[in-house]
Amino acid sequence: MKRPTLQLSSFLFLLTVTLASSLMVSLHAGLPEDFASANANIASGHAVEALSTYKTLLTYPEFKTSGSAEIWYNRGLAEMQTGDAVAASLSFRRALLLDPSLAPARIELSKTLGLLGIPVPTGWRERTMQSIHPETMIVTGAVIGWIGALLLVVLLFQSSRRKGLIILSLLLILLGHGASVLGTLVDPRRTARDSAVITAKTGPTLRATPADSATESGTVEPGTLISILSRNGAWWYVSTGSGPGALQGWIPSNTATPLLSSSKGSS
Amino acid sequence: MSISKSNRTVMRLSMKPFRNISRTAVSLLLLTEALVSARLNAADVSVSSGLSRAQISQGEMAELQIKVSGAQQADVPQQIQADGLQIRLTGQSTQVQMVNFKVSSSVVYSYIVMPLRTGSFIIPGASITADGRQFRTPELSFKVDDAKAQPVDPYAGSPQSAQGIQPPGIPMPGFQQQRPRPLQQRPDEGRLVFGEINCPKKTLFAGEMTPIEIRYYFDARYPVQVRGRLDFGCEGILVERFPDPKQTREDRDGITYNVLTFHSLLSAVKPGSLDVAPAKLDCEIEMPGALPPGFDDPVFRQLMGGHAGISQQKQVTVKTSALHLEVLPLPKEGRPESFAGAVGQFDIDSIVSNPHPAAGDPANLVVKIGGRGNFKGMGAPVLTHAEGWRSYPPSDKFDSSDELSYTGVKSFDFTLIAQQPQTESPGCEFSYFDPTTAKYVTLTSKPLPLVASPGGASPAVAGDTGATALSPTSVPSPGQNPNKNVPPKEGQPLSGINLRSWTTPMQRSEFLIATLAMLIATAALAGILVYWKIQSQGGTLASRRRKHIAELRSLLTGGTIDAGSFYEAALEYAELVVPPSDKRDALISGLTERRDLLKYGSGGSLPLPTIEHRKLLESLDLATTKAL
Repeated sequence: MKRPTLQLSSFLFLLTVTLASSLMVSLHAGLPEDFASANANIASGHAVEALSTYKTLLTYPEFKTSGSAEIWYNRGLAEMQTGDAVAASLSFRRALLLDPSLAPARIELSKTLGLLGIPVPTGWRERTMQSIHPETMIVTGAVIGWIGALLLVVLLFQSSRRKGLIILSLLLILLGHGASVLGTLVDPRRTARDSAVITAKTGPTLRATPADSATESGTVEPGTLISILSRNGAWWYVSTGSGPGALQGWIPSNTATPLLSSSKGSS
Repeated sequence: MSISKSNRTVMRLSMKPFRNISRTAVSLLLLTEALVSARLNAADVSVSSGLSRAQISQGEMAELQIKVSGAQQADVPQQIQADGLQIRLTGQSTQVQMVNFKVSSSVVYSYIVMPLRTGSFIIPGASITADGRQFRTPELSFKVDDAKAQPVDPYAGSPQSAQGIQPPGIPMPGFQQQRPRPLQQRPDEGRLVFGEINCPKKTLFAGEMTPIEIRYYFDARYPVQVRGRLDFGCEGILVERFPDPKQTREDRDGITYNVLTFHSLLSAVKPGSLDVAPAKLDCEIEMPGALPPGFDDPVFRQLMGGHAGISQQKQVTVKTSALHLEVLPLPKEGRPESFAGAVGQFDIDSIVSNPHPAAGDPANLVVKIGGRGNFKGMGAPVLTHAEGWRSYPPSDKFDSSDELSYTGVKSFDFTLIAQQPQTESPGCEFSYFDPTTAKYVTLTSKPLPLVASPGGASPAVAGDTGATALSPTSVPSPGQNPNKNVPPKEGQPLSGINLRSWTTPMQRSEFLIATLAMLIATAALAGILVYWKIQSQGGTLASRRRKHIAELRSLLTGGTIDAGSFYEAALEYAELVVPPSDKRDALISGLTERRDLLKYGSGGSLPLPTIEHRKLLESLDLATTKAL
């Protein structure tokens, strides 16, 4: 059985290399220096300058497909210092989107939402994300699951069947891929494409149809996270949640900013 | 011309004969407002700030105003952090001015500055966002001395005030002083229009809020339009924004008046005698003019509805009498350390909104201060028993139960991070000055039960007593990053950049490719193992059959075996090779008969004769060939 073991090791190595290579992105040459400069500005109370630098940093090409939770967190701090709690709530949400286990961002978002009078989300998804990063859960779960699958195949073709090892391999498959699915379910990035934050200074009015003259069904507070259910030109049909008190209606799209914008650094 | 949008009131009194004129006037007003708005959009934005007094005595309060010119709205901080001072936003007013058809607008944000100790202070600049741009106000110097508070003239602190110049550090028109005016009982128009002011308390403590009522009487026989806003206030007092007035009718001395009543709250900022200027209201009265000769008869008047004649618009500023107040300083004796400017009557309540936060998560202690008093000027309660907690400045929210925000409940939400396993929240202490008893009162709330722990683990609850025992898992494991759940110092940025994808792995092509690769690898491994297992068992059934046939053939053609064994092999060969047919059956029957004869008879152990050997091979080959 030396050859199957060799093959298994090779494929695991390939899998690891593939996953690792997807995470390796080289940084812009001047990025660390600019980042440190912006951080120094925040520490010295020059929030406006720091905010400007963070906005510039986020336009760098590395951030077209990737993001840095640290930059978004620091940008949120700068926005809080300039008194823009609504923008800060969006930045902290983006930081947590990239790294849901980033405790400082969670605390700052909690404080910011408190200032805005918006309840802080607490549920099993949040608790799970705080204990382990969904990305870690998904990738590690997948690796463990596939190790279990390969082990099961090897054991089934062995002349002497070992029931204990077969049960172990089945458990590895179940737990590994189960963790992978659970990680995907709790990962906020899965649904972030259709999420947005109200960033208008005054909360927009929810309307029954996409028209200024349509019947009003309530207002949404600035800083609220909304789900975009449908898009119709300059109007979005949104929902404020999934509970019984959730509101639904049309709002002008310029009153909210998508959690995932096409160019992450620009908004 | 100065128009306050928030307080602008348009009142119609006895308008029947002049409805069309009024509509025209309203239309003109709207048109003017549209023009004003259009001009406002193009205005330049500037921000300035100023203090009412650069130096005060302990126990007094000052007023800080931030003026944003060229914008109708701005984002300003609710509080300005300054060591030893408490600076809180108390209100705002919007002004639109038109001078020589040049329109400008400004928003003035008022802050109350309450010193917590004596000394010299620098009030840091505040970040303002207006018209999408960021501004920062300049730093201001401020001094609080320990001298005994003396009753002072409102303008005595500023030498320039005697010459009618603004006090130092007040570079904006919205902050101009209003000189006390002489007592005025009635306006020039006699009993046509007049105002009254009613303040139940003429002696009050600094910071104490007292209701005021301002009433304007308009003779009901003459139509009146109110222009502009109610102008009331002076340096040293804070007046809450006036809600919409109430309109009633009242007979006085045989004349029916339309009465406009404004209610608000007044509080004094500094101790001493204060003369508050009369409250003024600009209005326009439709006055009857003299009739032309020949038309001055009762019949004509009757035909014109009693209002015959050439009417004339008269601009009138209706004034109340001045208001004299004696403002007492808050006593220094018995002032608790936790006193932060609250004056009134209050009670306290507290709850922990999440008594079982996850490890490293913040707990929220909500302290509710209810009652009546200066909610806008009060500071936050002070945490007690806060050892082992990291706390942040609380956010606050006020729920008013009246129109004037005099009574209600103010909630302070403290975010607390446990630095060690905790079973109780911090307690709270809140002090206020009760003006009815002239004494300070301290309220406390006890620590509340909760279970919180720093990042790593939650302590296990031991029984119902709330006592806890530290779980062994609370010690960070070697691989755990101890800083992961510990927040950095408040307001400090994070260092280091880690790039992460905006999409979940399931939505990324590399992950899907890797998954597909693993699927193929598993299938390939299974295939390889199946092949090996077959090989280890000597190949497939067909290959084993072919191998056996080749061995039999080799045995038959070799001629080294005896006759019995030869027929044995020939019989097996025929059964394997010759396909089923009558000839096969006959061949097998013949071979069986001959084998049995040799096996059980004689000659079985002798070599097979050559001729018989050759004939037998030929018959086998023939049978095989025909079958093929």
